[in-house]
Amino acid sequence: MIEELDLLKKDWKKTENSFQQITEVDIYKMIHKNSSSIVKLILIISIVEVLIWTFISIFFNTDDYLKNMQQENLIDLFRYLTIFNYGVIAVFIYFFYVNYKNISVTNSTKQLMKDILKTRKTVKYYVWYNLGMIVLSSIAGFILAFSVDPKLEQITHDPKVLVIIICVLTLFLLILVGLFWLFYRLIYGTLLRRLFKNYTELKKIDL
Amino acid sequence: MSENLEQSFVKQLKDNQNIIHKICRLYTSGEDAHKDLFQEITIQLWKAFPKFRGDSKFSTWAYRVALNTAITLYRKSTRSISTVDYESKSYFISQEDYNSDEEDQIKLLYQAVHQLNDIEKALIFMYLEDKDYTEIAETLGISEVNARVKMNRIKGKLKKILNP
Repeated sequence: MIEELDLLKKDWKKTENSFQQITEVDIYKMIHKNSSSIVKLILIISIVEVLIWTFISIFFNTDDYLKNMQQENLIDLFRYLTIFNYGVIAVFIYFFYVNYKNISVTNSTKQLMKDILKTRKTVKYYVWYNLGMIVLSSIAGFILAFSVDPKLEQITHDPKVLVIIICVLTLFLLILVGLFWLFYRLIYGTLLRRLFKNYTELKKIDL
Repeated sequence: MSENLEQSFVKQLKDNQNIIHKICRLYTSGEDAHKDLFQEITIQLWKAFPKFRGDSKFSTWAYRVALNTAITLYRKSTRSISTVDYESKSYFISQEDYNSDEEDQIKLLYQAVHQLNDIEKALIFMYLEDKDYTEIAETLGISEVNARVKMNRIKGKLKKILNP
């Protein structure tokens, strides 16, 4: 086998100058083209995601509802929660920026892959955080609404109705989480399958 | 200043372009794919060039960026329309060029190498380029001992592909 590989190497060297040479003009043209690397794609997708989720979390604002219900003390609580939420967004964006900046094509292959996956993970955690917040605030909102809203309180006297409402709400939340899980499988599946495969392969070498 | 940078880059890339061609030869099949990967590697090299200090050789630096692009960053794209269209004859040795037994064997070997996975191709590439195990290990981010072990396994794998 060694002989055969030597044979290959011999031919490799022999044909090394057989490539059609590219001119300087071609290179000039190329460096002004846009990259279509996965890092660029990941950056675009991530920014879109962060924007969408930030928008959703601002949109999901319960202040007005509570004001209508005249629950002033709860408004304060939600205001702190909103401030906390902005803090979390800021921290996520900071980590995303740091991780993204760390991606360098001059690192070792393994490090480069690790850094790309880490950047993606930051965004994933951000999305799960937002999704978790939505689930939690839906549940909290549900409990609050039924305990302070006199109109709703009447309905819940009938346990059958209450069970149905709880079932519908649970189903809705499950579908929401399920859809996102699917969406992420899809993104990871198409975009990062090869990267994952190669990263696993590299890690296996050092096992 | 930036024009000087561009000039110096273009000149060095032109002189070292065979490194990229060789990687494209291993990682793609077909002229369009070859061009597409060549262009992406060129873009990545250019983007990383301002940080290239010149304390290593341009070629050594280019090896790493080019391999990383081929293995990690490159997506087989639908971009073929916007690829810079340079004059190209065949990069590939046509079948007629092989006639003796030895040449048949070489052809089979290339086919076998094409069947390897991305990481294995990288190891074979550096082996064919006479890189030592220190550099192979550093480039891929694995230990030197394990790079050797893996290389031996790939040799075994190639043997199996050739003599099933």
